[in-house]
Amino acid sequence: MIVVVGSRHDPVAADLIALWPQAALCSAEDLVSPGWVWRHGRPASRSWIVDAKPIRDEDVTGVFIRRSSVYAEELATTHPADRSFLAAEAHAFLSFVLATTSARVVNPVIGGAFGEEALRPERWTAVASEMGIPVRPVRVTSEARRRAGYRTYEVEVVGSEVFGKGPARVLDGALRLAGKLDMAWGVLLFDTRHRLVAATGAQRPGEQATAALRRLLEA
Amino acid sequence: MILVWGSRTDSPVASVLDALAARGAEVCHIDESTLATMGYDIVFGPSPEGWIEPAGRRIAIDDLRGAYLRPGNLAAGPARSAGMTLLALASNMRGTIVNRPAAGRSNASKPYQLGLITQAGLEVPDTLVTTDPAAARAFLLEHHRLVYKSLSGIRSIVAILDAADEARLDGVRTGPVQLQAYVQGLDVRVHVVGERCFACSVRSAAADYRYAGTAGAAAELSAFELPETVGRRIVALVRGMDLQVAGVDLRCTPDGSWICFEVNPSPGFPWYEDATGHPIAEAIANALAS
Repeated sequence: MIVVVGSRHDPVAADLIALWPQAALCSAEDLVSPGWVWRHGRPASRSWIVDAKPIRDEDVTGVFIRRSSVYAEELATTHPADRSFLAAEAHAFLSFVLATTSARVVNPVIGGAFGEEALRPERWTAVASEMGIPVRPVRVTSEARRRAGYRTYEVEVVGSEVFGKGPARVLDGALRLAGKLDMAWGVLLFDTRHRLVAATGAQRPGEQATAALRRLLEA
Repeated sequence: MILVWGSRTDSPVASVLDALAARGAEVCHIDESTLATMGYDIVFGPSPEGWIEPAGRRIAIDDLRGAYLRPGNLAAGPARSAGMTLLALASNMRGTIVNRPAAGRSNASKPYQLGLITQAGLEVPDTLVTTDPAAARAFLLEHHRLVYKSLSGIRSIVAILDAADEARLDGVRTGPVQLQAYVQGLDVRVHVVGERCFACSVRSAAADYRYAGTAGAAAELSAFELPETVGRRIVALVRGMDLQVAGVDLRCTPDGSWICFEVNPSPGFPWYEDATGHPIAEAIANALAS
């Protein structure tokens, strides 16, 4: 089965589950529900709670991450005084689970972080620069100034497949960059001068990418 | 110039500031009160360029050679924006950064960290994270004595569980709990600064020696000579985590095995430094200014 790790309030997660047969949501509420068993170095004994049901880790083929953190506000059924601590504990647990599950995780945990936190700008800018992919500089200032608008286009990567309308060298660069970043799925934004603006895994996958992701996560 | 971000009332920050002053290093100290009014204009490209202006003093990013970071919780508003900008700067700038923000992230998940420790060739305690009372009971039956502690970077007091506490394990139903096999032995805290190790043994009857006083016990700290092979592994572990400075918690068992519990990327070292005379702050200052 495919496990989508996300929020009950995330429409993208809900749509993906509707499109992918045998996919189910692992929500923040599931992370604090009875039944989880996760032992360090003992894969055979591991068990998830997904959509309130116990699932053996060996029955999970793929995990698609739709969150970067677990938020206190999501744990509405717990005592308000406990929520911040419980959210931090659930986040820590999720990081452990995602890093050690035997399933394919899209995208994998990097340095303990997952979701957008694992795709940090200092990572993708450094890797892109090393690979010779031009990166659009970002100005951060406390000064009042006019913000210049600019147009972008998207390139979407799933495994070894790339989708989008850009020059062949940009598509090829996007695929290589995603590989170096260990990014099995993501959207790369470029400006009209073909400079990389952003790398993100937070967007809604496009139609072709959704189908490709299903193939990747079911394999 | 060395950037130091943190409050002087925080003893590690004060120690590093003093050591940098003793070395004659030029320092830009930013605390929470300066943050709210700090100006900045930075272009993040292959390497960051621009300036920051804490307390009306403009400093070119090019002039910064290193940074020591121990920020508190960022308040909302301009202080938060300035703080986020400093974190981005510390993530991207060249020089010795103690520590890069991303390098400390593994501290937010102690069980995740166990994997990194194991990969570095160090033993860790048998660990179960569970919300299942039956699994928790079976783990207690297997080990007879357990400790439980938080999974996240939020500090908790380590506590011991034994057969008499079995009924309490029903409580794991309310959220993930980290249980570890109790390891008998001598506590050793190792502060790593670059390639150097400063080891300190701690003898205490308390389950968590940091809170020995509140448990009615004492904690006796002494300088300790770490076996070379263990020291090499710890330095490799810390380097592999991209940390320049870390506090590593270990226990040496009666049969001479070494068990590693966790790596703290922002250690409160002065307590150990005061007890042992280890020049930890000086070593950090040297690393920052080198």
